[in-house]
Amino acid sequence: MTLLRIASRAVLTLHPTISLLNQQKANVARWVRPTLMEIRARKKKLEIKNGPQKESPRSNFIEWNYDAEIYAFGIRLKEKFNYTLLQQAFVDRSYIVQEEMKQRSVGVENPSLNLSDNSALAKKGEELITEFVISFLNLSLPKFPRDGIKAIYRHLVSDEVLLKVSQSIGTKDLILSSNYPPMNDVYVATLKAIIGALFESSGEARAYEFIRDFICTQLNQVDVNELWKIENPMELLKEICKDKKLGEPEPRLINNAGQNTILAVHYVGIYANKKQLGTGFGENIQIAKEEAVKDSLRTLFQTNNNMKPFNFRMPVEKVANLLKKPALAAASVDNI
Amino acid sequence: MNHSQFLISGFLRPPFYNGVGRQINQLQRLTIKFCKSHGGSKGMRDFIENHLVNYAKENQSVVVYVKPRRHRSPVIVAEYLNGDRRWMSAQNRNHEEILKWLSLLSLQAGDTEPIRYRKNWHTDCPSIQGPWTPFTHKNPAFNNIAFPDKELGKQLNMPETATEKLLRLVQEQKNTKNE
Repeated sequence: MTLLRIASRAVLTLHPTISLLNQQKANVARWVRPTLMEIRARKKKLEIKNGPQKESPRSNFIEWNYDAEIYAFGIRLKEKFNYTLLQQAFVDRSYIVQEEMKQRSVGVENPSLNLSDNSALAKKGEELITEFVISFLNLSLPKFPRDGIKAIYRHLVSDEVLLKVSQSIGTKDLILSSNYPPMNDVYVATLKAIIGALFESSGEARAYEFIRDFICTQLNQVDVNELWKIENPMELLKEICKDKKLGEPEPRLINNAGQNTILAVHYVGIYANKKQLGTGFGENIQIAKEEAVKDSLRTLFQTNNNMKPFNFRMPVEKVANLLKKPALAAASVDNI
Repeated sequence: MNHSQFLISGFLRPPFYNGVGRQINQLQRLTIKFCKSHGGSKGMRDFIENHLVNYAKENQSVVVYVKPRRHRSPVIVAEYLNGDRRWMSAQNRNHEEILKWLSLLSLQAGDTEPIRYRKNWHTDCPSIQGPWTPFTHKNPAFNNIAFPDKELGKQLNMPETATEKLLRLVQEQKNTKNE
């Protein structure tokens, strides 16, 4: 396969008359077309036999300097890393196993690599993420119930979100793993390990800022109400109204139009002590009532459509102070 | 109509909400290939001698590889964080031109076609107040009225009738006489 690729490249580059940019000048020799066709046919044949060609790791290229890449990675994120720790953050357990196997296969009795994997750093990073994200959410959404905060937290630390973050900061080529491209969980573990390494190198505040800037910002333009499925909204509303002494919530039909047509619309409001909590539309009264209850809950939680956007520049000291109060910290981090 | 004459339109979409938290330079790697003897690489050689160290110092987040190869035209390959790889020929370009191309490449977010922005901003939540409905500014008092209603249904801009005008004139005459 590699031979074929080299051959095709040679055809493209050695022949001076093929100009990729200037089509008018092109005076392509007669042997080029059949050669390319032949190469293409052989490539296809190989693909049918062996499956699609595997992506070659960037580190297999001649122009590759791992140290420079690691250095540039730190600069890109505007962070100061301890070099060895950052390098360790990119080493997956599978890579060490693979390298040891390789050494054994050539007859080394006790293979040693002088490498340690990123699991310890990843564990530390995961702890930092949990602490910070929960406190950040508690500060940003003070009226949101704990179950809801948990749901948003679960979304933020889910593999899909962390995978996206990890890929977007350019870990793909730097990860040392037995697979290329790396498996999804390796990406996630690497991101956590990077945060752990940052904590060890530059301290807690920088690690928190990293989490705020790269993980919390994934809530940008996300409707937090959609992340939390409420089982029985009416029951929850009744409970909250009882706790806050707002009175019994009752639904009232405010308006309707187009009765007995396919375009019927009902407009229902929820009132407690003659004060409107929220409104909702629906094609029948039941749906309109449910929507109105959801709207009332959004208003009570202060997460309605016109809520203030999240403050992603919130000083991390504010969050760290919250974490220092033992009771609050325990309440926020436990049972997640 | 020749569609290729027009820019494709779209919305501004920074990768990964870049800049919401902190700004990351999207160019991660730059490979410069050139020949040490050919004339086509003259500009590239000048660039490497005079500007490359400076460029690398200013853009430390970019890993720059310089790859000499015999009797082949100079090439710039830019690799971005989203996995895009942009190949560019630098044949017969002078060092100033190359510097300009490089500064363009380091500002881009990938191998993107230029697009015409439909708006200079974009949001996933276009309405803060919610959509307008026929009930939005409806007076709640109308709920208890049975239509058709005489009071609400009367014409608002009724012009003065001839009888009314006559009566008004007579009244005005009477007023002036009394004075």
